[in-house]
Amino acid sequence: MSLATLSRGATRTLPHTLHALEREIDERMARIPTRLNSYGYDAWGFHTETTKRAMLFTALLYRYWFRVSVHGIDRIPPGRCLVIGNHAGQIALDAAMIGAATFLEAEPPRISRGMGEYWLPTVPFVNEIMVRTGSVVGTRKNCIDMLEQGELVIAFPEGIRGMNKLIWERYQLQEFGQGFMRLALETDTPIVPVAVVGSEEQAPAIANVMPLARLLGMPAFPVTLTWPWLGFLGMLPLPVKYRVYFGEPMRFSGNPSDEDEVIAEKVDQVKARIAAMLAGGLGARRSLFW
Amino acid sequence: MARAPHDTPEGFFHFGEPAAPPVAAPVHASETWLHPRGGARPGETVLITGIAGGQGRLVARRLANTFDLVGADRTPWEGHPPGLRVHTVDIRKRKFEDILRTERPSAVVHLALVRHFRLGEELRHEINVLGTKRLLEYAIAHGVKRIVVVSSSYVYGALPDNPYYMDEDSPLNVSRNYTEIRDLAEVDTLANAFLWRHPEITTTVLRPVNTLGYYVHSAIGRYLRQRYVPTIMGFNPMMQFIHEEDVAEAVALALQAGTHGVFNVTGPGAVPLKVAISESGGAAVPMPETFARAIFSRLFRWGLYPTPSGAINFLKYPCTLDGRRFQQATGFTPLFSLEDVFASVRR
Repeated sequence: MSLATLSRGATRTLPHTLHALEREIDERMARIPTRLNSYGYDAWGFHTETTKRAMLFTALLYRYWFRVSVHGIDRIPPGRCLVIGNHAGQIALDAAMIGAATFLEAEPPRISRGMGEYWLPTVPFVNEIMVRTGSVVGTRKNCIDMLEQGELVIAFPEGIRGMNKLIWERYQLQEFGQGFMRLALETDTPIVPVAVVGSEEQAPAIANVMPLARLLGMPAFPVTLTWPWLGFLGMLPLPVKYRVYFGEPMRFSGNPSDEDEVIAEKVDQVKARIAAMLAGGLGARRSLFW
Repeated sequence: MARAPHDTPEGFFHFGEPAAPPVAAPVHASETWLHPRGGARPGETVLITGIAGGQGRLVARRLANTFDLVGADRTPWEGHPPGLRVHTVDIRKRKFEDILRTERPSAVVHLALVRHFRLGEELRHEINVLGTKRLLEYAIAHGVKRIVVVSSSYVYGALPDNPYYMDEDSPLNVSRNYTEIRDLAEVDTLANAFLWRHPEITTTVLRPVNTLGYYVHSAIGRYLRQRYVPTIMGFNPMMQFIHEEDVAEAVALALQAGTHGVFNVTGPGAVPLKVAISESGGAAVPMPETFARAIFSRLFRWGLYPTPSGAINFLKYPCTLDGRRFQQATGFTPLFSLEDVFASVRR
């Protein structure tokens, strides 16, 4: 039984209030141009039916759990772009929320193509959901191919350094990888900086047990107030309020194979912009939860 | 990096509808594969090794009206079309060289590769690697002008960090997790080295994706024809397929265009493994990976299952190729749709 059939069965029993949301997702999906083959899959394994089901769940989280407020979504340019943001929260819900924002709020709606951690394709079920909803493993070739098709690509240059940092390091941007900048230069792609306020407190980690992570073949093994003490229930994030700020697109030019120092200068400009938006968002925030 | 105008995406990931014909593009000096050298002319003598195999027969039928065909195979081909001379000979033996000496072929299509495991590892390795090496040596000695080697997509290996569309420069990683078919990667590497060392001989290495059809006996074909098809729980990778007739067409095109280089040959598109299974009339039976590996490695060792457990990686991770280079060099477009491809193996 495929994921699509399973999820269709699960949503058939939904109360009527959710059907409105379902219709909204259907309507927005219909407006997204996709290149599907005769079996309904695009060149990357993206599948609209599975994505719609996943988006229903994500939209519930988006509207009712995190109550995401989005600022500057109209700054996303048409055509290819690289959305670069801060990464936090132990599980990549920030990517899902940005994806939900571009799907539910942007005009026209866009599918966000995530550049996944190299570890994700080895995780059963996760790898399939990731691919069916439009993400791929974040290799150079994948990113270039995606951008050349005019897609909106999300990447977190902090990677797991950002995602698995501890609670007292929240909102401190970790080292940015340089790959995204080289790709942007090579493909002449505008960079949209995005700052996510809220995600950094959703799962406050107090320790990262690396020996255990190595044993399980995971990139990190975070210990939060609830995980692993409460089992899978402990993975549920706190209902913090998410604030997502999209910045003006940044355009860079130069030689993509320049020295590290030259690239680092451009990377720092993006990092500084995100840091400034984070500071602004944190300043405007009155409470963690609303 | 300057982007050539042909880098617009629409034509290349062709799914469902046929792709737009490739647009002539300004050619980089380094992109030698885009300079076809003038191919085999009608009436030339072409030697097909492994002619009695499924793909060999198809290629022979495809080329029979154009060229003067000579075939060589370990097993005889009963009832082959008239007009072609089939020699029953082992590619590793001295007698094989006599064919090149007496028939004087100007082109060779090399299909004599053992892709199953019934012969035992050593014999298989010897036929594939030693056979290819001998063939290439004889080709130099007897004035062969062009060679087409049909390798496969499997040489890239199925790994979790594979990009979705691997180009011809991707490393041949199969020996990292499927050592039983490392000889196929070695054959590919041999042909590759030959291609660079002997620029005077027009050499084409083709790497077609999963080939299905009535004649070709491939591991993937056997796998999909089963009633109950074992899969790995939680994994459902995208897989590309191509019809055997399209592979034969690609061989003919490579021969006639005179391409010199390595080319991925992709078919009408990709679907998840489980779609391929249901479309070819089977039922997927997901099993936990550790269990599957334990079972299938034993079954293979006892001779009860035809494929080693290393193949499990191809049921977990994608090994999907970027076929643009071949399309640009030859104008190749697959004739058979995904539906046709699956119909050819439907139970």
